[in-house]
This record gives sequence, structure tokens and C-alpha cells, in this order.
Amino acid sequence: MSMILNHVSYVYNPGTPMESRALNDINLKINDGEFLGLIGHTGSGKSTLVQHLNGLLLPTSGEVYFNGADISDPEFSRKDLRGKVGLVFQYPEHQLFEADVFSDVCFGPINKGLSKKEAELRAFSALKQVGIEDEYFYQSPFDLSGGQKRRVAIAGVLAMEPEVLVLDEPTAGLDPAGRDEILGMLSNIRKERGCSIVLVSHSMEDVAEYADRIIVMNKGSIVFDDTPAEVFKFSKELENMGLCAPEVTRALKKLKEEGFNVDVSCVNVRDGVETISKCFGI
Amino acid sequence: MEIVKTENLTFEYIRRDENDNVEGITTAVDNVSIDVKQGEFIAILGHNGSGKSTLAKHLNAILFPTEGTVWVNGLDTKDLDNLWTVRNTAGMVFQNPDNQIIGQIVEEDVGFGPENMGVSTKEIWERVEESLKVVGMYEYRKSSPNRLSGGQKQRVSIAGVLAMHPKCIVLDEPTAMLDPIGRKEVIDAVRGLNDVEKITIILITHNMDEIVHADRVFVMDKGHIEMEGTPREIFSKVERLKELRLCVPQVTEIAYELKKRGLPIPAGILTIDELTEALKKCR
Repeated sequence: MSMILNHVSYVYNPGTPMESRALNDINLKINDGEFLGLIGHTGSGKSTLVQHLNGLLLPTSGEVYFNGADISDPEFSRKDLRGKVGLVFQYPEHQLFEADVFSDVCFGPINKGLSKKEAELRAFSALKQVGIEDEYFYQSPFDLSGGQKRRVAIAGVLAMEPEVLVLDEPTAGLDPAGRDEILGMLSNIRKERGCSIVLVSHSMEDVAEYADRIIVMNKGSIVFDDTPAEVFKFSKELENMGLCAPEVTRALKKLKEEGFNVDVSCVNVRDGVETISKCFGI
Repeated sequence: MEIVKTENLTFEYIRRDENDNVEGITTAVDNVSIDVKQGEFIAILGHNGSGKSTLAKHLNAILFPTEGTVWVNGLDTKDLDNLWTVRNTAGMVFQNPDNQIIGQIVEEDVGFGPENMGVSTKEIWERVEESLKVVGMYEYRKSSPNRLSGGQKQRVSIAGVLAMHPKCIVLDEPTAMLDPIGRKEVIDAVRGLNDVEKITIILITHNMDEIVHADRVFVMDKGHIEMEGTPREIFSKVERLKELRLCVPQVTEIAYELKKRGLPIPAGILTIDELTEALKKCR
């Protein structure tokens, strides 16, 4: 799989008084099996960018290439693309609609034209992977808890066997343990299926913990594209963009100012504890 | 007098099939007795499904107790004669800003509540102006709400509640859908209401760093109050919170881990500054 955005710009309502430029000269390559975190304040262009990845929007200028093919090409099948790049919207549980959990997950594969048997096999494996037990398969999805519903909705996208899985704030509204469960599950899915994951999030702590690489967007442009440790070095710049570094990183920075010899590039609690311990020789 | 008081509050959701036969009963709130004093800042924590929102909906008479009693400013919420007084006394702000804004322009939206209460036109305008200033949205009074960011919309929602001159505001996960700056804007506005306007705040949240400034914290589990105390007391119990599917702020966790490794750090560190001071003393 390869996904390349080459000088992509997108303008909403071009040529009208409502014209607004949402993406500005975006260059991005998503690598195989990568866990990518996408952050930026509300209105920074994250959602517009994400909608280019599966062809819901086509660039006003520039190109998006999937496995070498330009997705704007009239010959290119965007329907196939949507099977290969799975998009999980915010609050995906609002899109559940079938009478039971299993049928809901089967809907995508059957719609794609797969046999009933193949669809069921995929639904079974997707539901197992998101941690939904057999006993729930024939229950109404509306009788499940919030976290379970969300996992069923993600299974619906997984059953399409996407090569890239894009999730827009999959943990919004979940309790801390629920957040960890969903993110841990995504990590496993990546390992087992080898697909790439793009995680759009407002939680700096979450992307710091799980992403290999972070893209920071501001006013429709990519401002930073680097590892979490590198990106969160720019805490001042991030703050000016309505974001922030994880609390650990901010705490370490403060300690450094106070003369402690700590490593300020730590972005999670584990590493933070280690570097402070080292200072005290414990 | 307590602004909010519940005594043995129990609420059951009854599920019915198509023929109205009872299929099952879920006890969402189980024998909860709490007192909230005028001017307090209360935070309620708990995992998804622990009963927080159901409890909150009792405080302004959206739901009524199956058993037990809820008093708001001394009025029993079950008494229908009190209904409007109760709802004007305890206002509510919900999670999704888009579900609670109805006006075409900001000031119209904020004026909706007092207008409904029969407040005179002159006073409505005074209240709209005052409320928007308190939440820092006055300069946007002529804007269309759909042009605002999430944090700004949520502050407009709060202004809308504020214009009804409530004694108490209940906020049910007001920051769940917001980016970091939006979260900060909303929490700063809420703290201002409490510090300056002396309005009682009941804040439900999953973001542990938002409750550091609360006077008291209630932790709910399976419909009942499992823990109660100051943020420091609550956050001292790191393991217990994790068992309840919750967590502590990152600095609190760092301090806890360092303490386990033998550094003499007090329990329940809440802020970066406290951690820094505690570590300085260890040098």
C-alpha cells in the first residue's frame, strides 16, 4: 500500500462569497503499517484532509495517489478505494442501524458484493478482533454499552479489510479505561493485519503514547511532521496553535528550568518516571 | 441550606417489549445521598454507565426518583408545582454544543431562556450582555453560532443558562468534544462562574485534569457513590481509581510512581508546580 498526497489544496465553495481554503499545499506520504497521529485545533483542516484519503473529497489542485494511481482519474474506481481506506467517523455508533450486531457488521462486505458466507467470516473475525464476544452477536446493537457500540461500529469498517484505517476521535466521550481499550485494540489490529492507522485526536497524551509519527495541522497546512518526541519539543508553538504538549513533557520542561537534569523529550508517564528516577539515582 | 440535596435517591430504567411487558430493570442510581452547599464546586467522576448522567438529570427535574427524594434549593423536584422553579434554579449544559443552540445569532440564543421565563425585554438585554461578558463571548454577540468553534459554542451554551440566573449549573461532560484550547476556555469560564459569580458548579467529566480545582469530588460506580473527598484525597488512591476504570492526571501518576520507588513525595500531587516543589525538597 502506498498513499501519497502531492501539493494538495482544497477550497470549499470556490468562486462564491463563501469561498474558503481548507487545505493548503499538503504533501504527505503514509507508509505501510504506520501508526500516524493527526492533531490540530477545530477547523485546522484535519477532517477535510481525512476525506481526501478515501476520495470523499477530491483535491481542488494537486493529486492524491493510491498505489500509484491518481484518485481523481475518471478511470479510477473510488468505490474500491473506499473499501481499502476505511473511515471511522466521530461517534460511529450513531451509524449502527441493523437489527442485530452480526448483521450490522456484515452489511459492508455484502454491499461490496461478497458472498454471504465470506461476509459472515469477515464479520466474525472483525468482531473477535474488537473484543465483542459471541453472546452479543445476535443482540440489538442498541442494547450495548457506549464502548461496545463503538467497537461494533469499528468492526463494521474492519470487515471491509481496509489497508488504511482512519479514525476521527475514536475515544471521544469514553472513560479512561475505555480510551485505553480502544487504543490498545487499534495497536493490535495494526500488528495483526499490518494495516496503517491514521488517528485523528484532540488528546495529546493519546497520540504521544500510540503514534509513531505525528502530523500537526494549522490553518490548512502541515506545520510539523515528525516523531512525538520531536513534535512535542515545540510546546510554545503548539500552544499558539491551540494545542499543547502532554502534561509529562510540560512537567519535565519545568523541572529542567529548575535545574534538574531530565530528558525533556519524554512524552509518556513511563519514560518520564525513568528520567526523573535517573536524576535521583534510583 | 444545601442548594442540592438527595436522600436515598434510586432510579430504575424499566425496559419493556412491544407488548409493554417488563423485560428487565436496570438500577442506574442506587441509594445516593449527597449534600451540595451553595457556592461549592463539585466534580463527579465515574466510568461510562456508572450513573453520573442519570444522577445529573435528577438535579433539574428531567428525571424523577423511583425512590427517595431530591431537593433543589429546598424544593422537592417531584412536586410538579416546583418544576419551573427547580429548572430555573439548576441549569444544565450538555456534551454536544450543536444540540443545545437554537438561535440564529448568539445574543438571540442566549436570550431564549429568560424570554421563556417571561422576563421583561429590557432586562433580557441586560442579562444577555452580562452573561456573554462573563463567559468572554460578548464580542461575538452578533455572530451566527455555526461560525463559532466548539469551545466558543459551549461558552454560548453556558451563557444561555447563566442568563436564567441559576443558583447552580450542572455540566455533563461539557468538554468531551473539544480541542485542548476549547477545553481550557470552557473550564476557565466555569471556574470564573464559581469564583466570581459564586454559582454552585456540578461538573461531570472524564478529564481528570479538569477537576483539580474542585472543592469536592464524588466518584460513582454501579449507581452509587463509591468515593468522596477533595481532589487530593481522591487522587491519592491511584490503584483504586484504576480499578474503577478511571485514571489520575499524568503528574499525579509520575509522583505516585516516584513515591513507590522511595522518593519522599506527599500523596496526591495535582499540578506541575506541586511536583516541581516536592522534587526540589528531595534534592
